[in-house]
Amino acid sequence: MFAYLLNLSVLICVNAILAMTLNFLMGYAGIFSLAHAVFFGVGAYTAAFVSMHFSDSLFVCTAAAMIISGALSLALALPALRVRGEYFVAASLGLQMLAVTVFSEWRSVTGGLGGITNIPAVKVFGVPIETANGFFALGVGYLIAVALIIVVLLRSSFGRNLQAIRDSESAAYALGKNVSAIKTLSVVVSAALASSAGVVYTFYLSFINVEGFTLDLSVLLMAMVIIGGTGSLLGPIVGAALLMLLPAGLSFVPGLPQAEVGLVQQAVYGLVMVLLMIYRPGGIVGGGSRKLAASAAVKGAR
Amino acid sequence: MLLLQLLINGIQLGALYALTAGGFSLIFGATRIFHFAHGAAFMIAGYAFYEIYDKLHLPWYLALIVSALVTVAFGVLLDRLVYTPIKRHENSFFTLFAGAFGVGIIVQNMIGFFFGRGFVAISTPLSKGVPLLPGLYVSPLAGIAVVVALLAFFGLHAFLSRSHTGMALRALADSPELVRAYGMSPQKLSQTAFALGSLLVVPAAILSGASAGLNPSVGSHVMLISLAATIVGGVGSLRGAAFAGLLLGLAESLALAWFSSQWSEAVVFVVLFLFILFRPSGFFGRALVH
Repeated sequence: MFAYLLNLSVLICVNAILAMTLNFLMGYAGIFSLAHAVFFGVGAYTAAFVSMHFSDSLFVCTAAAMIISGALSLALALPALRVRGEYFVAASLGLQMLAVTVFSEWRSVTGGLGGITNIPAVKVFGVPIETANGFFALGVGYLIAVALIIVVLLRSSFGRNLQAIRDSESAAYALGKNVSAIKTLSVVVSAALASSAGVVYTFYLSFINVEGFTLDLSVLLMAMVIIGGTGSLLGPIVGAALLMLLPAGLSFVPGLPQAEVGLVQQAVYGLVMVLLMIYRPGGIVGGGSRKLAASAAVKGAR
Repeated sequence: MLLLQLLINGIQLGALYALTAGGFSLIFGATRIFHFAHGAAFMIAGYAFYEIYDKLHLPWYLALIVSALVTVAFGVLLDRLVYTPIKRHENSFFTLFAGAFGVGIIVQNMIGFFFGRGFVAISTPLSKGVPLLPGLYVSPLAGIAVVVALLAFFGLHAFLSRSHTGMALRALADSPELVRAYGMSPQKLSQTAFALGSLLVVPAAILSGASAGLNPSVGSHVMLISLAATIVGGVGSLRGAAFAGLLLGLAESLALAWFSSQWSEAVVFVVLFLFILFRPSGFFGRALVH
């Protein structure tokens, strides 16, 4: 039972990092990306590749994952500068579908549909991390680090510029802000931080394949952010924990056939999403409305 | 001969994409609702037909009528019970999109629950290929798909340009306020758009259920394609959606000549991505307003 909870906690940390970094885009930059799982995947594959071919040091792997993920995120920044709203969602969706094809077909690096197995243990200053306790510490450590980076960024002038752009791009432009540079930077930061979750995930499972990085995950992450509350710091963490605990909770409901649990869970996510959009578009942590939550976030960042 | 075969397959696929994309485009153009649950309507239509025709062994026209009724009811009820309350509470692209997405997830998983996750096919002798030329097989379904798509688009075009309601629908896209000022109900018009848009997916769902089969995740694939077609064709342009649907179907099929089948979907999204980057207003769309 304890091992089960520990396992769940590590996965909650990974998902919370992803949800937080997605929220950085959705809640603060106003960019609704359906391609977040791509950068998670890029981080995971990079970490696996680096650890198998170059170095098994955690820092080298993380740095490599963040650099590659940040560089590739320019493919997402490009449409973010050109279009907004529906068009951007469609573009990010296109990117997500492309990435899944690349993940499953570029066999020499990603191992194809079978994925990569036997990823070596990662080392911190020469000490390998192998136990679940170790990974729990790693996950929590990364989560705190990512949270701190995001808080610091949001309190800086960069964060305020970002929120200004979200609230009114034209006004920010008129005030002489370099809208393109700020938007691009926010996408790069978000993707780079998201890749760190991929690093933890890769070494924790020591097996990855394309199944973990599909559109389903991107949607799930969006659901975590929406359900937890966009534009708040705690919201995505709450959303991630809730959506990860829900499957665990539902598997204890008596009378539900085990084989169908996944389907019921998914349907419940959907239902929760619809009901929240109708009754509480600001999410659980956010205020009653998204605009309220957004203005509260602006105040908090001041 | 391979290319010709792929071309014909592509036209059949394209006709089906054009129908679903036309429905999405009609709804999105008139109501500005990013109806991501359009794929769910497709699934409902396909599985309703399968249940009645294949499971209950009732005649096909009965199955067709019930399938159409259920799908239209789904679209209209969705507008009334989900989109309208969301709009009243907080009308933004994002809330509507998330609501629609939720509905799509629910429907996909309910269908998986009741019909299983595997493929089911609507059985009909019409899906069997007939050799037209040596090595060239064409099933009667391909012809039916093209004829149905043409009829639907000419009918819809006539409706939108001639009838009173059709003109009001186009007006709704431009200004709901003005529509109200002229004494018409934007609410009713929105429901009309949903009814018509959902009706368009019925033949597409049944025909693709007969030719390629249905599984619970087909809906999201179809949804992504119609979304791509709507944007490539130009938002608000029915002609554009039809044309782009055909184009994407052809691209997906012809890509098989050069790439392995895993890449065919990626080809569609490369086309979409390039269009969004370089020509976001699409083929026939009006200039994009930020």
